[in-house]
Amino acid sequence: MIPSPTLEFFLEDIFWAGLATLGFAVLFNVPRRLLPACVLCGAAGHVLRQILVVIFGTSLEAATFGGAILVGVMGELLARQQHAPAIIFQVAAAIPLVPGAFAYQGMLAIIRLPAVETSVIGPFAEAGVYIIRTGLILAAIGGGIAIPSQLFRRRKPTRD
Amino acid sequence: MEHDQQHMTEKSVLSREALRDVNEIALWAGAQMMASGAETDRIEETVHHIGTGLGAKWLDILVSPNAVVVTSSSGDEFRTRLRRVPVLGVNMRVLDRINALSRQITTSGMDRAEAREELLQISHLPHNNPFLVAALVGVACAAFARLFGGGAADMGITFLGAAIAQYVRYLLNQGHFNPFLITIVTAMVASIIALAPRSLGLTTSYTAFLSSVLLLIPGVHLINAAEDLLKGHLVTGFVRGMLGALLTGCIALGMMIAMWLLQSPVI
Repeated sequence: MIPSPTLEFFLEDIFWAGLATLGFAVLFNVPRRLLPACVLCGAAGHVLRQILVVIFGTSLEAATFGGAILVGVMGELLARQQHAPAIIFQVAAAIPLVPGAFAYQGMLAIIRLPAVETSVIGPFAEAGVYIIRTGLILAAIGGGIAIPSQLFRRRKPTRD
Repeated sequence: MEHDQQHMTEKSVLSREALRDVNEIALWAGAQMMASGAETDRIEETVHHIGTGLGAKWLDILVSPNAVVVTSSSGDEFRTRLRRVPVLGVNMRVLDRINALSRQITTSGMDRAEAREELLQISHLPHNNPFLVAALVGVACAAFARLFGGGAADMGITFLGAAIAQYVRYLLNQGHFNPFLITIVTAMVASIIALAPRSLGLTTSYTAFLSSVLLLIPGVHLINAAEDLLKGHLVTGFVRGMLGALLTGCIALGMMIAMWLLQSPVI
């Protein structure tokens, strides 16, 4: 089900995604002065993904990659501004992008498999699709966050 | 002129004892970073900055999945030491402070005694109050329930399940149990609480069940795995990724046990 692209929908999305990021930032023991930047990063990444999915009809994989790149770039910029490691902002902000619902569907599909006849393809295909999509989305998060740091931090790989 | 400048920046050779101190301090910083969730490249870079900032000519760093090795050299002398890092946790406060320490050493010329004192303080940094963490983790998972389209009832159940599960995880962590076991038990506790209202016929929604275990997602392992792989640290990258996958499997196992215990039908 794709929700209607109203302004309220996106504002609500920003609020809840920010709140989720805050909780995980506290769990990861982020210093208090850096919490607002973490929340900003997490809300921006998630709302960009929702905008791509709802307004532009992008696949969840590609939209997550876009959101993760935004988290990666914002993390690097905030790191320079606040003099702190970028990973502090990026890790908590990445959590709202995790495809919990797909992982759950994939897990349920796998639990059902032992009772299925091998001649029936449906349940196997279902399990495969959800697991593969979960894996792709997780890879999109990791790659999307890691790629911007390659552009920001470069070093000559030589000795002396 | 150019020769003069080069001569000015030339470092004095450290004594064998001084080099041992430098190696020890740089290695300790690296081990603390690794135990707190830093990726390989950042550990190598920071250890190198700290060591050369304290007077060594060069440092070679090897980050393996559960140990760090550092060799510092100065003049003809070198020192090597290995330090094991048995538990890979997450503590961003430590990463922030060591980052600041590294900058202080390179810019304002902190000496070895001060650096050692600062690292000692960092190793005793407190974690947030466990009740506060449990409450905020509960709120975060309730926010996920909302993002997944749940209503107020789903959010309430998720808050309860996730907050209690987080406190259980804290207690198990204090007891130094096996991390996989901790994940399974925590996922089971969260799932039992989240499924109970459904088993009692109070609701038909599965949203709380799915949201209340999200506190266990091994986000730091998975992101560090991607960073390490992209930067060519394949060994640590693969190990971190495998660890993340195993912990995710443990979450699923904990949820399954809860479903069996509550005789909840697989939908």
